Amino acid sequence: MAKKTFNRRKFIIRSGVGLGVLFGVGLLGRGPLRRMLAQTAEETILPFDNKFDAYLWFEIKPDNQIILRSPKVEMGQGIFTALAQIAAEELEVDWETITVVHANTAQGPIDFVSTGGSLSITGLYEPLRALAATMREMLKVNAAELMGVSVNALSVKNGEIVGGGKKMTYGEVAEKASNWDFKIDQPTLKSKSQFKFIGKALPRIDLVAKVKGEPIFGIDGSFPDMLYGSVLRPPVVGAKFISATPGKAAQMPGVIKVVIEKDFIGVVAESRVQAEDAKHQVDVKWQMPEKLLQQADVDALIKVGAGNDVVIQTEGSVALTGENVFIREYFTPMGAHGHIEPNGASAHYQNGKVTVKLSTQVANLTRKEVANALNIKEDDVDVQPQYLGGGFGRRLETPHAVEAALLSKAVGKPVHVFFERTEEFQNGILRPPSHNVLKAKLTKDGNIESIEHHTASSDVAFDSSLISVFLKPMSNDVAKAVVGADFGAWRGGMIQYKAIPNYKTVAWHAELPFKTSWWRGLGLLSNTFAIESFMDELAHETKQDPLAFRLKHLADNEKGKLLKSVLKAAAQQAEWDKPLPAGKARGIACSIDVGTPVAQIAEVEIKDGKIKVNKVICAIDPGLIINPDGVKAQTEGAIIMGMSASMFEEITIKDGKMQPNTFGYYQMAFIRDAPEIEVVLLSSGENPRGMGEPPIGPIGAAIANAVFQLTGKRLNRIPLKLEG
Amino acid sequence: MKKIAVFGLIVFQIIALGFVDGNQATTSPDKAEESLQAFQKMLTVIKHNRCMNCHPSDDHPRQGDDAHLHLFNVQRGKDNQGLPTMRCNTCHQKENNPYSNVPGAPHWQLPAKSMGWQGLSDAQIGEVLLNKSKNGGRSLSDLLHHMTKDPLVLWAWNPGKNREKPPLSQQEFAKAVKTWIDNGAVVPK
Amino acid sequence: MKIEFTLNGTPQSVDVPENMPLLWVVRDVLNLKGTKFGCGKAMCGACTLHIDGDAVRSCSYSAQYAQGKNITTIEGLAPEGSLHPVQQAWIDEVVPQCGYCQPGFMMAVANLLDKIPNPSDEDIDDNITNLCRCGTYYRMRKAIHRAAALKNNL
Repeated sequence: MAKKTFNRRKFIIRSGVGLGVLFGVGLLGRGPLRRMLAQTAEETILPFDNKFDAYLWFEIKPDNQIILRSPKVEMGQGIFTALAQIAAEELEVDWETITVVHANTAQGPIDFVSTGGSLSITGLYEPLRALAATMREMLKVNAAELMGVSVNALSVKNGEIVGGGKKMTYGEVAEKASNWDFKIDQPTLKSKSQFKFIGKALPRIDLVAKVKGEPIFGIDGSFPDMLYGSVLRPPVVGAKFISATPGKAAQMPGVIKVVIEKDFIGVVAESRVQAEDAKHQVDVKWQMPEKLLQQADVDALIKVGAGNDVVIQTEGSVALTGENVFIREYFTPMGAHGHIEPNGASAHYQNGKVTVKLSTQVANLTRKEVANALNIKEDDVDVQPQYLGGGFGRRLETPHAVEAALLSKAVGKPVHVFFERTEEFQNGILRPPSHNVLKAKLTKDGNIESIEHHTASSDVAFDSSLISVFLKPMSNDVAKAVVGADFGAWRGGMIQYKAIPNYKTVAWHAELPFKTSWWRGLGLLSNTFAIESFMDELAHETKQDPLAFRLKHLADNEKGKLLKSVLKAAAQQAEWDKPLPAGKARGIACSIDVGTPVAQIAEVEIKDGKIKVNKVICAIDPGLIINPDGVKAQTEGAIIMGMSASMFEEITIKDGKMQPNTFGYYQMAFIRDAPEIEVVLLSSGENPRGMGEPPIGPIGAAIANAVFQLTGKRLNRIPLKLEG
Repeated sequence: MKKIAVFGLIVFQIIALGFVDGNQATTSPDKAEESLQAFQKMLTVIKHNRCMNCHPSDDHPRQGDDAHLHLFNVQRGKDNQGLPTMRCNTCHQKENNPYSNVPGAPHWQLPAKSMGWQGLSDAQIGEVLLNKSKNGGRSLSDLLHHMTKDPLVLWAWNPGKNREKPPLSQQEFAKAVKTWIDNGAVVPK
Repeated sequence: MKIEFTLNGTPQSVDVPENMPLLWVVRDVLNLKGTKFGCGKAMCGACTLHIDGDAVRSCSYSAQYAQGKNITTIEGLAPEGSLHPVQQAWIDEVVPQCGYCQPGFMMAVANLLDKIPNPSDEDIDDNITNLCRCGTYYRMRKAIHRAAALKNNL
């Protein structure tokens, strides 16, 4: 490796500490240790994500085409394009000669944990460059031998090795050389100023396939002679499958088999509609919960003061008595991922082996679960990840892979199954609701002296099947007891205004009687909404400019400096000092997540009695930028998704049923709702930081703050509504 | 086609604006009362959201038992069949779809704006029904046919899953319409 | 039920349950996967295709009604080896992220341009009601205007 192996080594050390600590359960009763763990999680989010070496490899074809098998999946974040750019840089090839495909689990171990947490590029930037450079040098060594020229006399350009009046392509060398069993020193990697591809706004490499409608997505997977399955899922939260008989379903047209397993009922038919028709005719007994779950039950659980609490951050001595004490609370509801591609899988079981095609953020976990369910070896399961029709955290659970595999085994033919959209809402995994309470005491001259943040939510990381992979051999229950509150849910919850002398953050955790999940940015949107709305309230209460108020409470530590720079950049772009015309107003908010600071200014008006966001100005500093257009696209997308979640989206539960349970009634932003977006890119530092999630942080607060500016009304509840 | 009985003793001028264009009727007080009662029955159906949702007085159809604005900001369009790429038939076909549960019936579309009922009084609804310049040029027999035979109207009694039916059965409604018309098509003042 | 129609210019004959949504006829029976399933309730538009010149959400269109119709999917939007102006504009503006919803959008937009060659922003807002979760709307609007210009200059 090159000298700068800081990221990986740091991760390994961190995760070593983390694991050591986690093993020693008895040691963890004490606050400081918990906080250390909390701090680790806050800074790296998933300290374990890069614990295992990334498995990367190239194939070089005789025609000089290079195939990079990506251990990370492409879910729209543009990672294939970025990886091609990074690889091309050290390989010294035209980036268009690189094809990036998903690695299958059968081709070797792939990414051990997941694609998520905005960590793919951060984690792969150095290893991929090092691998590419090493491969280039190894090709040179073999070329020297084949060409009969000294290695030092060779140079490379556009996939060709030239020297001594001769040249060979990489493809020719790869084809002709037989000995690759030698080691070379890690070559020095290019410096920033030498980059040809990194930093360029190259078009996405999957554009043509995506505009032509090519069959690249998980749900598009198929096999010859494939049959179609449909699975019965519990009708209400808490219902458990007891038993079933095929009933009329077995005689329905097209039905091949009604498959009744221990905890699972599926119908396989010649066509999808026949499977769906028949599924409603299966006689199934559910054990219903004693009491059907209601929204009030959820509200009572997710409340500051309910459940476990753990102090995740503390500095100085917070005192909240006397004059100038402000206390406010904020709420966000349950939300859906809203991925347009429902979760589906096709599987073909044959002779004790199974191939599964699907959209997954956790190929290895999918493989493990399928192997366990079929009682076969993991090596006999080939999970073939496809392009994801949206990820957002929803592809971290893949029970449909198990369903497809079991059904295929039962009928001896390939089977395709998927979640109906109503099942995505009722039987999927939702973003948990949250309740935040903020308290502050201000000095007479308008400075915050003490601030305390209480953030309450449910499982984000703990509920995930994923956690068992990295916390092995600890169970989720033990993990919960140890960490105290869900580190995914508190993401974005720590106070970053470190010029405040006394601050404290407490995370409250309660378990809901149903699974909740990671969602783009995890707790980032809700925690930022709370903190940044509160900061705005304090500024207005003390008649200070919201921008200046923020700036003066940021310290000159690393994160503080980053936040100040994006705040200033956004303000400059928006001409913060110049008021908007009557009837329009701006609101500002900022956050920092996976090292990436973001400031956003929303310009809103009230149109037909509703909030209309006309424009969002965003300044973001993701460190070294691989593809500026890709960064802009992610930023625009996160803003629109976050705006949609902040203004329209809400799920409540009634009689054990999620409401609403379809698109349309679960209102998501349309093109007419989308604001104009200006992105200001800053780029400080030598390495890329996280990108996919950070820009979702500030948008809810920025809109709410603008609405306050415009109407004098403080909206403390997402989705933001003027009425009520 | 039913002949409308004409009784000459007393001319019962019902409509506030005078007799409506072309659908003039005279009737006896008893019959008028019977007709009016039938009309009141009809109103329970006409004013039910199953019917009202598609008779907006503005350019936006409603939907659902709670008569919310049709999702997606669906609009009337120039030919009462939607906007250029948001046509009624973008989603609605000739019958209810068993899988999507999107409702459907032949010629699924909005009636002309002049046939809007939303926000109208009972008398105004009566006027809209009878006035040929507003009701699409329908005679009473045309009206009878529309309200008792038109498959789009009959859809109200076959609305698909999770949609409430009008308070009268289709047979009761048809009988009420016939009684109303047979007795002079009397509507409230 | 035997149903005959024209798909992307080619006559097709299928034997399927009469109520099978056209979406599944296209995807599962004829193996064209560009038309997507999103919600199955005609709420998201991922399954949009063209039937006799109108944009139709095919998850809610029973196969029986396809008899004798002329159907176009994303695969047939442009002649083999070429791109429709909408597809070209989508590339030029780098619209897709995950890309799953995009065929449905492009089919809706192509239909919009057939009917309104120079759509205003309001026309776009009123007529394009598909759902995209990656939030590509800002670029999409630019791409729609670009596609209109490309198409009008052909």
